[in-house]
Amino acid sequence: MARVERGRGWRALLLALALGAGVPGMLEAEPLATPAAESLTVLSWGGAYERAQRRALFAPFSEASGLAVTVERYNGGLAALRRAVQAGSVPWDVIDMTRSEAMAACQEGLLEPLPEDLAAPAPDGTPAGRDFLEGAFGACSLTHSVFATVVAYRTDAFPGRRPTEIADLFDQRRFPGPRALQRTPSVNLEWALLAYDVPREELYRLLSTRRGLSLALARLASLENLRWWEAGNTPVEWLVDGEVTMASGYNGRFFDAMVNRDAPIAILWDGQVQEHEVWAIPRHAAHPEAARRFIRFATATERQAALTRHIPYGPSRHSATERITTHADSGVDMRLHIPTHPLNARGAVTKDEGWYAQTHARIGELFRGALLAEEPLPDAP
Amino acid sequence: MGMPDAGRVEGRGARGVLRFLGLVALGGVIGGLAALAAVGFVAAVVWLNDLLLISPRGRMMFAHPEWLALATVLVPSLGGLIVGQLHRAIPEGRPHTPTDAIAAVQTRRGRLPSRAGSLSALSGLVSLGAGASVGQYGPLVHMGASLGSAGARLLRLGRSDDNITIACGVAAAIATAFNAPLAGIVFAHEVVLRHYALRAFAPVAAAALVGHVIAAQVLERGALFHVVDPAIPRPWEFAAFLAIGGLGALVAGGYMHAILGVGRLASRLPLAAPLRPALAGALLGVTALWVPDILGMGQETLRFATIAGAFGSVELATVMGLKLAATALCLGMGFGGGVFSPALVIGTLFGALCGTLVGMAGGAQDTFVFYAICGMVAVTAPVIGAPLTSLLIVFELTGSYALTTAALASVTLASPIAAQLFGRSLFDIQLTSRGLDLSSGRSRAVLEDARLAELLSDEGVTLAPELSINAAIHALGQAGHGEAYLVDGAGRYRGSLTLADLAVMQEDGRGEATLAECPTTPRPVLGPEASIWSAMRRLQEVTGEAIAIVDEQDRFLGVVFEASIARAFLRYSDELRREEHGTG
Repeated sequence: MARVERGRGWRALLLALALGAGVPGMLEAEPLATPAAESLTVLSWGGAYERAQRRALFAPFSEASGLAVTVERYNGGLAALRRAVQAGSVPWDVIDMTRSEAMAACQEGLLEPLPEDLAAPAPDGTPAGRDFLEGAFGACSLTHSVFATVVAYRTDAFPGRRPTEIADLFDQRRFPGPRALQRTPSVNLEWALLAYDVPREELYRLLSTRRGLSLALARLASLENLRWWEAGNTPVEWLVDGEVTMASGYNGRFFDAMVNRDAPIAILWDGQVQEHEVWAIPRHAAHPEAARRFIRFATATERQAALTRHIPYGPSRHSATERITTHADSGVDMRLHIPTHPLNARGAVTKDEGWYAQTHARIGELFRGALLAEEPLPDAP
Repeated sequence: MGMPDAGRVEGRGARGVLRFLGLVALGGVIGGLAALAAVGFVAAVVWLNDLLLISPRGRMMFAHPEWLALATVLVPSLGGLIVGQLHRAIPEGRPHTPTDAIAAVQTRRGRLPSRAGSLSALSGLVSLGAGASVGQYGPLVHMGASLGSAGARLLRLGRSDDNITIACGVAAAIATAFNAPLAGIVFAHEVVLRHYALRAFAPVAAAALVGHVIAAQVLERGALFHVVDPAIPRPWEFAAFLAIGGLGALVAGGYMHAILGVGRLASRLPLAAPLRPALAGALLGVTALWVPDILGMGQETLRFATIAGAFGSVELATVMGLKLAATALCLGMGFGGGVFSPALVIGTLFGALCGTLVGMAGGAQDTFVFYAICGMVAVTAPVIGAPLTSLLIVFELTGSYALTTAALASVTLASPIAAQLFGRSLFDIQLTSRGLDLSSGRSRAVLEDARLAELLSDEGVTLAPELSINAAIHALGQAGHGEAYLVDGAGRYRGSLTLADLAVMQEDGRGEATLAECPTTPRPVLGPEASIWSAMRRLQEVTGEAIAIVDEQDRFLGVVFEASIARAFLRYSDELRREEHGTG
């Protein structure tokens, strides 16, 4: 394994030298580093999220290291990674993934293990182990932020009332209109069962029973005018265009539409499903050393705080959470838009990624069988 | 034996206050220990259930259906095998339960055995871990009681204090397991102590409080019944809740008798007692292949039963019947564990069934959870003989006054009907079958538990049958007694003689005749293991100064004087009075 990588690194270095694209800054910073790269390829999620990452992470990293950062986009899922690793040629150096997919990928051996001392200590010297959220350190991944899948609604769709709890998503009598949900079992199953007033703490225990699953699927099947989305920006567009009245989506994207585009939408925080978003390095990555440098750079307190000035994702470090200020462009107080803020987190569910990592395939099959019978099979994650 | 002094009050003044505060502090310490034990026990059960593919979560995360099926049958069977072997090390050959703690307190015997207590806790842990359909609160309560008693023994405290520390352990266990301190305090009083004394209340409250604090710190769990602002039931629905109470009492009776009935049947099986739990486990596992709801404590089933529409009515009746049968099978065949958790599930399913039927008859479904909770209380309260505790559990776990009042309507009929038809609780029914009748209160229980052997005196005059009547009168006069006991050369008891009888013979001029020719006065005799209670009953039938005590071979052991029985009665009554009405 290691030998293969080193070979790749040398080849990249030779290539870089042959092209005359020497990188003085990087060589200064790490005079002994053997593998060098002229650029780093990051696989991320596109949209407003990518724009924020470019400003808070990628550009400053290029400046500090002299490495150009190339960004490629995906909508999650492991199929492409699996194919690339099998083919032995992986076009990405760093992947921005959900923790659940990182756990599954790590088990399948699709990711590089990360060194334990990868993360930098906090500015005040607090060791990273105590500064990060619980569960941030995985065998192959490091949590950089917490995002939430939430329900957003058009503020002009329900005159005189506003949805206040997640059960309202399924109440099309009081809150009429088409809905848009992500074409995955996760989050949807949680919300469907929450709508029966079960406690958050018991969600995954109950979803582990045949009865719980069939109750949840029945509640989802009862929705009329339901559209499924896959790309993170789709529900935002549908909501902004008025094609649906309520839609699930990532809180950062909705924030972007609300603040930057002044769209008449609002977020229903109840039932928000929080997930860890992690950095991971794929197996056979071309520049693993640069990838590790990038992860250490991007998870530093200062960079995490900087990211919250562009997109409202909760930092994974306590020291960064304390530094949350305002939105860089609009001046909005970002603390009110961060999912982990106490005001918003009251009805939050933390996604049980261990559960999904083990049940992914079976739950997905059940979900497709029950709800997507007439549609073609989606790209298996 | 000191004379009982009804007027003496122990421990008043500064020393009394200190002593009492010490007892309260001890209650807190025992509460802490019992709470930690309870937390550890619960965590171990959860861990085992996940590991052994019993919990739905563990089963869901395991991807191989054929291995899962195999484990479903093998795990409870092997668990039963282990439990059976554990019970061989307990003198009674069965796990100790709250019933034993109640008996120890009601008879003022105290002193719960530590070894049997730990083995019973282990048996409960294995049973629950392996998915037997039993409850966890029974083992928790008994574990708390054993810890409390061990504390009293360690500090060489008296029996009254032993009772209080047992109650402390019990209260802390319930307070921790349900995170309901008030229910813990009331449970200890309602079920274990069965009287209210300030002297006991303060230590018990301290224990429950410590248990609550530990539970709130350590256990991050959802409430057992999480109810979001339920609708308010319509007035006529309270009639339905009352009816559920009446019917629930019958379900509770069926449940209790099923457990006892299987126990009786099991004793007639041509299968050694240590192997019976394994058989029950195998039967349970095979059934669980079709209805996994019956495995383990059934918390998920309980939750679904509070959701309208989660089960059809036929399904509710089926799962309820199977859960009842599975629990009776597991407990009757000798798995260790409690009766409360399964009763919660059965009761909630029963209430849900009633709610579904009412819904089908045109009733509203927004009050469905009321029916489920009413059914739950109607079945559990009679089983554990604790209507107040059941109500408080509902109140503390839901925080809903509306639900508590509905549960009150249900328990109003359930408890008295069940008490009339079946007995105060399953514990009491079991104790009655073991010869301890608690239905007439504690004073009788204490006297039933006290043995005549402790009052045995050798001061009675024994005479050989060969002795002449004149010599006998002389001997009696010397000893200052009016009665003598005829004991032959082999030490056998041959009858009682009164001075009056002997005097009549002498008057008749037969003073030189032997005692064997003298007519004896018929007198009841009792064994040394007879209770003081039975001796008192016998004394009502005869006049005399003492009862002869003989062993099984009729050998004369001594006498128990009427006066010492009366003194013992007064002494026990006085101790009870002081324990139950003392303030410190």
